[in-house]
Parts: sequence; C-alpha cells; structure tokens
Amino acid sequence: MERNYAKLGEYSTLELMAVCGARAIKNGEVVFVGTGLPMIAAMLAKRTHAPKAKIVYEAGFIDSNAIDIALSIADSRLGYRASAAIGLIETLGLLLQGGHVDVGFVGAAQIDEYGNINTTYIGDFENPTVRLPGSGGGNDIVSSAKRIVIIMTHEKRKMVKKLDYLTSPGFLTGPGAREKAGLLGGGPSLVVTNLCQMDFDPETKRIRLATIHPGVTLQQIMENTGFDLIIPERVPTTEPPTYEELAILRAIDPHGIYIPRPAQTQQ
Amino acid sequence: MGCLCLVEAPVEDKRITLKEAAKLIPDGAHVFWGGFGFQRPPMAFAHELVRQKKRNLTIYTCGSEMDIDILAGAYVASRFELAFFAIEGIGLAPNIQRRIREGAVQIEDYTNLAMALRFLGGALGVPFMPLKSMLGTDLLTKKRFREKKAEVITCPFTGEKVVLVPSVRPDFSIVHVSRVDREGNAQIDGIKGEDVEGARAGKKVIVLAEEIVDTEFIRSQPDQTAIPNIYVDYVVECPWGSYPMMVYNYYDYDLEHIRMYYQQCKTEEGWQKYCEEYITGVEDHMEFLKKIGFERLLGLRAKKPFPY
Repeated sequence: MERNYAKLGEYSTLELMAVCGARAIKNGEVVFVGTGLPMIAAMLAKRTHAPKAKIVYEAGFIDSNAIDIALSIADSRLGYRASAAIGLIETLGLLLQGGHVDVGFVGAAQIDEYGNINTTYIGDFENPTVRLPGSGGGNDIVSSAKRIVIIMTHEKRKMVKKLDYLTSPGFLTGPGAREKAGLLGGGPSLVVTNLCQMDFDPETKRIRLATIHPGVTLQQIMENTGFDLIIPERVPTTEPPTYEELAILRAIDPHGIYIPRPAQTQQ
Repeated sequence: MGCLCLVEAPVEDKRITLKEAAKLIPDGAHVFWGGFGFQRPPMAFAHELVRQKKRNLTIYTCGSEMDIDILAGAYVASRFELAFFAIEGIGLAPNIQRRIREGAVQIEDYTNLAMALRFLGGALGVPFMPLKSMLGTDLLTKKRFREKKAEVITCPFTGEKVVLVPSVRPDFSIVHVSRVDREGNAQIDGIKGEDVEGARAGKKVIVLAEEIVDTEFIRSQPDQTAIPNIYVDYVVECPWGSYPMMVYNYYDYDLEHIRMYYQQCKTEEGWQKYCEEYITGVEDHMEFLKKIGFERLLGLRAKKPFPY
C-alpha cells in the first residue's frame, strides 16, 4: 500500500516524535509505557500497525485499551477495557523482571553517550540545583525490558558528556558493562528527539545518529549535542507521518493535552 | 452441606473518626503511605495530620504526589524513602522542592519495584528482599540519611549479581480503599499499586474508605477482599477522602483544583494561603468538602461504564 506522507509544516515536531515512537512498537509486543508522549505513541501503534500490542502501565493496568488521555500512570482512564488491574509487584516484578516485557518507553532529563539516563538531580548531589521526580519505575524498566526507547528534547544541556546523576542504566561504561553489572534487559535501542532519531553502535555501544527529521540540519544536531555523536556516512531523513497517522493522533488527543494541535503551536 | 449450628462471633467494630485516627500517630513515627500517583491517596488523612501539627514523620511510599507535597509543605514529614514524586502531567512537586532547598526535607531514592519489595519483605517478616534493578547506577552508591541503603551480593546458588534492599516495617500503614466493613475487611477497585503489601507491613494499620459496607456484603464475595481484617487495627469512614485526586469507580480528579494548587504553591506565600484556606482554616474533612461544594463534587462522580 502506498504511504501518503504529510508535508513539512502540516505536522508538529511532537506529532512526528509520537509517530517515531509508535513505529518502534512491533505487532504483538508487550509494551511498558508511562504517560505523555509514550502513551500517545503506544495508543497510535495499537490503532495502526500493531493492534495486538499489549500496553502495560506500572501502576497495575495490564493490556489497557484506554480511549481517553490519562494524566497519571495510575489514572482510572487506563483501566478502560484492560485485561487486569493489579499492582506494582505484578507489573514491575512478575511481568517486567520476569522477562515478559519487549519494549519500555522512558523519558530523560539528561542522557550520556552510552544511553545512561538521569531523572533525579540536576547539579551536584550534595547541593543540587533542581530535584527532579526520581526513578519511579524508570530504573526498573531500563534495567529489565528487552529493549528501551528514550523520548526527549534535544538540547546540549540534556545530551551531556557526564550525567549529574545516573538513575537508569544504559550501556554504563561500554561493551559488556551491563552484563558485568548483572542487568537482565537489553538496554537502550532508540532515542527519539525533536531533531532526529539515534540508535546505538553494536560494537562500541555508543550513541549513533540514525535519521534526521525533515527540515533539520546536521549542524543543528551537532550544536545541540554535548557528547561525541557517531555520524555514519549516510544518514537518511526520518519518514514523515502519514495523513492517516496524523488523523488518528489528533483523534487520540483531541484537546491537545500532550500534543498541542499545529494551529496551537508556534509552527 | 456443613454443620449449620456454627455460631459466628459478633462483628468487631474497629471504626474510629478521622481525628482519632490522626491522633494515634506520634511525632517522629515511620509511616507507610498508600495510594499510587493520582489513585486513592490518603488526602483527607494528610490534611488532618497538618491540622494536628504532627512533626518529623518518615514517609515510605512508591510514587506520591499532592498528598506528600502537603506533608512536606506543612513540615509534617521531614524524611521520605520513595521512588517518585511530582504532580504528574503538570510539573514538579512545588513544596517538596522548596523544603529540600531549605534543608527541611531529605529524600532517600529507590525504585518503584525496590520500594514495593521492601514492603513485601516487611510483610513477610524477612529482613531484606532481592531484585535486579538499581545495578550499575547511582541509586546504589549515593545515599542521604540511611546508614545502609542497598547492597550488591553474588547469589550463593547461581553466582549472578543481585541487589538487596532492606525490608520496611513501619509503625503505621495508612491506606485509602474503596470500601471496608467495620471489622476491617477491605476491597480495592482498580489498581492496587503497592497497597496490598504496604498494608501488611505496618505494625498498626489504619484503613480509610470511601464507604463502610455490611460485613455480609464482604463475606458474600470473599475473593474481592484485598486486605483481610486480621491485618487491620482501625477503620475510618472517609467519603471523598482522596479528593482532589481520584478513586476508581467512585470519582475523577478535579484537575482545576490540582492546577490551582500547583500554581499557587510555587511560592511560600501561595502555599501558606492554600493551607490556611483549605486545610487549617476548616474544622474537619466535612467542612473541607462543604468548602469545595457538593455540586462540584457530584460533577466528578464516575460515569458508568467508565471507572472515572
């Protein structure tokens, strides 16, 4: 089937990010998500190419079929037509640590070149500038899911050489480090930002540019990255959203709670 | 058919008022704090602790929001062992941020699974629990006030690395549930978060509920009981006890009120004003509900078939 792509200016950056997230989910996979863009991405995936994906929220909602946007991962909205509503030991312990989760979505305030994540402190631990929400289930998910998708904004202060605090384990110090630490999961596989998508070099486990979003330049990406990014010789442009994906996205979040409608954005 | 001449013991009545329940908590107590995210936080109990000017509590929870932000703002709690705090979908928890900067609040960070297992360990009567999270990260190595926070060991059976976290056996467990009978048999609709384990970990357990039901109702469907009466010491009838957050099958959150709280509490003056207006300035939970207005509350009632 021919894909009918939207043109630059017909979609917002957040919409493109949600579409990238959705495409990272395969049909039939067990997906662990939080609220915000990951939830929208998972809902989009279920309504397009991955209707058999099972969405799990750590508060205890399993195989959720929510039709309304939730503010909290414990939001009753996520209970709509779920297969079960249990608790944290079930989701993070038995399902996740037990090895049943294919892909986990997380956000990050900072990441480094090995995909290690900070969601706890900005500044020095003894005298921090900002205290962030903390791990929640983030560390559990990144420790034990088979693969991880990180969704975040691309800024120099967020893509750093050294984290202020290591909350969730990427590839730690490089090849073999996760295994040596005793971690079960496969680690980060994709980083989706407002500028590009990045994956991880299989040899060095360092972060690598994968696709550049339409209208974004390589220089913009370099200027907004604080660590040495591996740049392959050929970097394709990110596949834009299709009109179908956009229509579904806008129906999922009609009031623009997580994705303000293009008319409401600056673009 | 069994013998029909069994004489059942009279139903024990564990009901006390919200005020009496809060009075039981001494300054400096260690408390398991139930609810998860926006779901079933013991908000009314937090308000009453503020009214009674409790101090220096240590709070154990997985992820909590406006409820523990209020405890920090009013200097009721000075230490937290938790995994997450924020006003989800809105922003960082404003009062806790300020109290941390002042040095009035300290946080020991774990993960959600680690905290849930710590409660399960306490409930099981074992001193620690093993897990496969936290490995390789600062969660293992950086600590605030615990002498020992977590320990990596090599499994004596398989040789693999495992993290041990200390079990929690708090002085009190506070949970807000859907419904309970006066003996303390509690049902929880929707997700249970870490309340099933947390309620069993406390040395004394106080169950607050949206409604008190007849014990016959509980005993006609015993598979629905999340917390049996054996664990429960006190029962408090507390309708709308999680407002402005939500209770599954009962009511939705009041987003306007939560946003107002968040905006106002960004400054100390704003928080003091909120506290005076909605917590210390009202006599009790019922007066608080009256202040919010019953028409407004009824508008938040869950609309079947939705649980919100």
